[in-house]
This record gives sequence, structure tokens and C-alpha cells, in this order.
Amino acid sequence: MERRYLCCPECDEISRLPSLRRPGRYRCPNCGHTLFRHQPGMVEKIYALNLAALFLFIVTVSFPFLSFQIMGMSSEATFTTAFVNLYREQDYLLAVALLTTTLVVPAIRILLYILLYGPLYHGIVPPFAAPMLKTLEAVAPWGMLDVFLLGILVSIVKLVKMGEIIPGTSLWAFAAMIVILAYAQSIFDPHETWERIDRAHGREPDLIRSVER
Amino acid sequence: MKALEAGLACCEVCHQILRIPSPKTEDRAALCPRCRSVVHARKPESIQRTWALTLAGIIFYIPANLLPMMHVETIAGTQSDTIMSGVIYFIQTGAYLIGAVIFIASILVPVLKILILIALLLSVQRRFPYLRRRRQKLYQLTELVGRWSMVDIYVVSIMVALVQFGALTRIQAGLGAVFFLLVVIVTMLAAMSFDPRLIWDRSPKESDV
Repeated sequence: MERRYLCCPECDEISRLPSLRRPGRYRCPNCGHTLFRHQPGMVEKIYALNLAALFLFIVTVSFPFLSFQIMGMSSEATFTTAFVNLYREQDYLLAVALLTTTLVVPAIRILLYILLYGPLYHGIVPPFAAPMLKTLEAVAPWGMLDVFLLGILVSIVKLVKMGEIIPGTSLWAFAAMIVILAYAQSIFDPHETWERIDRAHGREPDLIRSVER
Repeated sequence: MKALEAGLACCEVCHQILRIPSPKTEDRAALCPRCRSVVHARKPESIQRTWALTLAGIIFYIPANLLPMMHVETIAGTQSDTIMSGVIYFIQTGAYLIGAVIFIASILVPVLKILILIALLLSVQRRFPYLRRRRQKLYQLTELVGRWSMVDIYVVSIMVALVQFGALTRIQAGLGAVFFLLVVIVTMLAAMSFDPRLIWDRSPKESDV
């Protein structure tokens, strides 16, 4: 009988993969790190949630984000105003970091999810599936929209004392998008996608006969 | 069974198990057949890189705290805020929750992260054989919380975006924010370059038993 194995990236332990019938998570027997989650329906959910997030992202960047009024004077900010102002003040490092972590990386991730899981949903393994999945994982730590939301909340509390804050359309779209993306991230597990990519290239996934003595 | 002891390695990107060439040599690398990444048995020069980046983080942390995060320019003059003066301002005005958030994200998290990384590095270098699971949990914690330090950077950015009323009031980012950003980036890179598998590696003495 063929036996399938998993390796743990955290502690290097190789363990046997038990046959999974019901959805659930499989943990490393040595360190308890979650190796993968078996959850039918993940592909559909990831595709749907990221399509919704893409729509909300477009709304977020195209409408006013926050307005602020002091003594009859008002200023209005869109999603990219902070970047533009920092860039104008020649704070290039701050500007680039802000743009990368709140716009470029999240946009790339949403697009890659759609380009990868759209075809997978229709039963096709798209070309460049492996590099796409690899990029998704590599840029993940640098997407910080959830942190940005906390930053917005703190700023609102800070500014309320100075003047009047009026939340714009895109603030609501942004908050909804964060919830959707957080849910998508919590159910995402690349393991079964890697196995599908393997099978599409005619390879058997994670079969190591040589492990056995 | 450990992959290394079986002449195998685990791809960090896609978790494919693969054969690694020539045991007992330092730089053991192979190309993952599935995701085409270069797979090392252990991250190369992990300890040195993590030390270097952690020390860089400590150095940047000093100006990040001493220099102002932002300047508030009004007709009356310019007021500058450092991280600590911002926290004190929130506490004094009774916004304890926000004060606590900023204190945790900007002061507690970076310091704890640097201390944990140093403790992990020392324990791995000394081949400390105990508390492996606890140390691994600490490592996972540093990976998880590091990004939340960015909150203060975002607050400064949003203030710069919204408070622009020409000569009346305007807010500019200070040099402290740049150094604080560097602390966050450098400590995130340090956590990434640390190889948690080193925690689990058995010393020659242990393997004999």
C-alpha cells in the first residue's frame, strides 16, 4: 500500500498522513504545528471571498475615505492621500512602505487568489499556478491591511479632540473588506492546491517510499 | 523521525519532502520539483543573519524613541511628539485604551520581540536541549505580532494626510517615524531569517543516547 508523508517546516519531523475523510486539521505529532487542514469547499470560498474583496477594494480606492474639519476649514482624504503627502514631503521611505503594505501587496494578493482559484474552481489548473501560489505565500507577511484598520481607528480617536471627523463611503467598504479578507485568510490552506498542481504535472504528491526502511 | 537525519529536507514554501544531496556538508541545497524554490536542509547562515538583523533593530530602536515621530505646526509654533510623549498624552487625556494600544504596539512588542530573538539565538547556539515546544511557541509569537508595530507608522501617515490646513495647522512626519519603520522591517526580517528547526536539532551528545 502506498503511504503518504508530511514534513513539518517548523521542527523537521516527518510523519505519516492518516487517511482523512472528515474535514479537520492535521497537526505535527512532534510539535503540534498545523500541517494542513482538510476542508472541502475551500476553493469555492477563496474564489468568492476574493472576488468580493476585489470589488470592495475598488470602492475603497475610488471614494473619499475620511473628511476632517477644524474651524470651518475642511480637508478630505482618499485612500492614497497619505502616500501622496508623504511623497511630497520627501519622506520616501515612509511613503513607499505605506504604499507597499496597504495597497500593492494586498492588491497583488487579491488578484493572484482570483487568477489562481478562479480556474481551479472551474476544474482547470492555470498556467503558472506554482509561481502564483509561491508569490502568494512569499508576500503574505507584508500585507498589513488589518494593522492599517487599527491605525485608522487610533487616528480617528486622536483627531476627534481637534475637530470633526466625517467617515466617507470607502471607510465602510474598507472595514467590510478587512472582515472578508480575514475570513478568507483563516480558511486558506495551500496544501491541497499544491497536490492538485502536482497531479496536473503528472507527479505523485508526497510519496516517499525511500523513507521506509 | 527528523528529515535531516533521513537525508531528506522539507521545502519551506510548499512542504514537499525531497532528497538532499551529500550528508555531512554545510551547504546542502536542492531544487524543489514542485515549486522550483531552492531548498536548504536549514536556512543558510540563519544564526549570523538573525544576530545581525536583531542588532540592527536594537540600534535603530534608540533614535526611533528619541527623535520625534511627528511635528504639529500651528501659528503658535511647532510641537513635536515622540512615541512616549504620545502615549503619555493619551493617558493624561483619559484615553486609556488607545494609550494601551500604542504602548503595546510601539514599545512592548518591539522590545519583547528583540528579547525573544536574542534568547532563542543564545539557546540555539548553546544547544539548550529543554523547553523546545515552549521556545517554538515563542518564535511563532514573534512572527505573529511583529507586523502590529506598524500601527504607529499608519497613525502618523493618516495624520499627515488629514491635517493639512496650510499656515493654520499642519502635521509632518518626523525622523523618528523613519527609524521606527526600520525597526519594524529589520526585526521582521530577523524573525524570518531564524530557522525554528534549529530549536529541535539534537546535539551529537543527545543522538548517542
